[in-house]
Amino acid sequence: MGKRVGIVGAAVTPFKAKWYEKTYYELSQMATADALADAGMEPDEVDAAFYGIYNDIFQRTCIPEHPLQGIIGLQNKFGLRVSNGGATGAYAMSAAHAYIAAGRFKTALVLGVEKATDCFDFMSMSATPEVIKTIGWSGDSFYEQKLGWTAADSYAEVVLAYMDEHPDDLKPEVTAEISALLSEQARTNEYAQRQFDQVTPEEVLNSRTVVYPFKELEICVYTEGAAALVMAEEETAKEISRRTGQPVAWITGLGEANEHSFAGKNHKIMSRIISHHLAAHRAYEMAGITDPLKAVDVVEVHDAFVHQLEITMAEMGFVPRGQADKLIEEGLILPGGELLLNPCGGLIYSGHAVGASNIMSAWSARNELIKRKLKTGLVHGTGSTVAQYGAVMIMECD
Amino acid sequence: MSKKVIPQEAIPDQGGFTVKIEGKEYLVMNDAMFTFYQRSMGEFSDFFLTLRDERKILGCRCTSCGIVRVPPFALRCPECNFAPTEIMEMADTGTMIATPPITYFANSLFQKQVPFGRGRILLKGADTALSINCYTTRGILVPGLINKGTEMKVIFQDERIGDITDIFCVPAAELTAEQLGKKGLLSSELDWERAVEPQLPDETGENKALFESALGELEALAAELNDCARARQDIADWQRVIQIKATGGSFILQIKGEQLAIKPGVEPHPDFTIVCPDLKVLLDGLGYRGSLTQAIMKRALWISKNSEFTTIFKLERMARSLARSKK
Repeated sequence: MGKRVGIVGAAVTPFKAKWYEKTYYELSQMATADALADAGMEPDEVDAAFYGIYNDIFQRTCIPEHPLQGIIGLQNKFGLRVSNGGATGAYAMSAAHAYIAAGRFKTALVLGVEKATDCFDFMSMSATPEVIKTIGWSGDSFYEQKLGWTAADSYAEVVLAYMDEHPDDLKPEVTAEISALLSEQARTNEYAQRQFDQVTPEEVLNSRTVVYPFKELEICVYTEGAAALVMAEEETAKEISRRTGQPVAWITGLGEANEHSFAGKNHKIMSRIISHHLAAHRAYEMAGITDPLKAVDVVEVHDAFVHQLEITMAEMGFVPRGQADKLIEEGLILPGGELLLNPCGGLIYSGHAVGASNIMSAWSARNELIKRKLKTGLVHGTGSTVAQYGAVMIMECD
Repeated sequence: MSKKVIPQEAIPDQGGFTVKIEGKEYLVMNDAMFTFYQRSMGEFSDFFLTLRDERKILGCRCTSCGIVRVPPFALRCPECNFAPTEIMEMADTGTMIATPPITYFANSLFQKQVPFGRGRILLKGADTALSINCYTTRGILVPGLINKGTEMKVIFQDERIGDITDIFCVPAAELTAEQLGKKGLLSSELDWERAVEPQLPDETGENKALFESALGELEALAAELNDCARARQDIADWQRVIQIKATGGSFILQIKGEQLAIKPGVEPHPDFTIVCPDLKVLLDGLGYRGSLTQAIMKRALWISKNSEFTTIFKLERMARSLARSKK
């Protein structure tokens, strides 16, 4: 399995609907400087950079990481960009772990950044349709893009297929309650895009349908920002921990899976998100977890859509498939429940700065473990058409 | 003039502007990343040429395991150590493998076709499903019309260019036996329901009084929305003249200069018309007590142009902005 690897520093910039004041260069530098400060390190102590940047078009350049290498102080060092749709950040963390575990590097910076809302649609005179269009270029270019493929409609396909099989699950009042709960949790995340946008379940139910069955307040919001982590191998991590006085968040499990993008026999099963199931269970196996509900204290799940969050939690084994509403109905994620789910407000309220999102989730999970003196956290990422990609990371504090 | 790959109105003028934040000016430039292609369809050429020229759908069957893939996206079977596949003609009917999503809020490239479904049809004899747009010939597409297992017929556009958009599908139940049996059925051969403006009850003293009362509330709400900077931003650079027809009366709703204006009367050439039998539905939507989109889906509101969902969304965003600004 290689060397033991831990997270020793983390930081995020504020996630904002629009950063007029910063380009992605400065956002990257802000997150890097703060993550290194959190780890009590300077740039020359970092051996390698792993960049999580989803989309070239958002950054308006095709090798968006190239100007960052020098700007973040890693001139002449290793730099690798990862781009895996919505799961970009999770895969970037996984890649960094693998290189360190293999002994290639003692330390690495994982940096995610996205400037999503510089895109602007001059026909509707608003940004969101152009952001959706930009992501729309991610669909299959021969068979789907021109049909109006979007991230929302491709995830809605999976959700509706699940609802075909489980018509009594994902009840509108439950998805509305989860959204309201996440909005409440964002209140304590000073970096969240919608820190003070608390909503009631009734408001969620009354919000407009964007892509059936998703309502506006059940969908993540696109944002601009950066997030960074510092990872280190065991001895270095322990030394940094002594220096900073912060416990190491050890990465004890990782799992990833990418499904087929076409559906049918021996292909994608539309009613399942097998990628999330496999990623989670591979990570559990690596971490020695047999009962995730008992073992995991904090989950930061990539909530592109509330319905998908519920299905993902079922695929990851926290509730039975077909009974995901138990998350609310049995109080599992309610205050005082067994599980702390998306304490940062999730991507729906904290914001979805795509390549940075899962790294922000890891920052949040680590914060909660340290702050609340908890042991085990889970970070999840999803991406690509029909929730094709899944990546899960387990972290544990001593 | 031939149709361009980028609509002219999508292209901004050169230039920029500044935004002032905490006393400092920041420059924002109009810009674009554009790349044009002469893109080869390669091994997919037969599929697209056959759609265009013969109004037929091709699939491919693995010569080893027999799995039939539609579209023929892998000409060698990855399940059988890349055994060759053979091209075959498929039926043009099948069933939806799952309930298809319906897009109401699309990006501008698809704004003129909302609401539209995109799902996956399992053509008869196929093992994998073809991604395809789904429509109804009976008015606006709402949930419940097309579900998992719904029998569908593939329809061909009259003008085809060799693209996946050359085809779409409609519920077989909406077609005659003759239409169902015809291969290569064209869009122009369907009986598309025309958008017919709903008729409202005659004006009476009672419904006029209700109308006047709701209109008064609407005027007060419009004033509140106009006072809200966040809501004004939602209609920045947007202009529309909307004829509103309700039980008990009519008026004009104008969007201009970041303001909503309510004027009495009838506009001879509005950008579009909203018919609302109960004006309170519009009032609730703008007051963030309900959704205009949902009201259209439930036929409690009618709009004369589906492409004006863009304006509906802007009005709904204003409602939410006002609600947020009050928190």
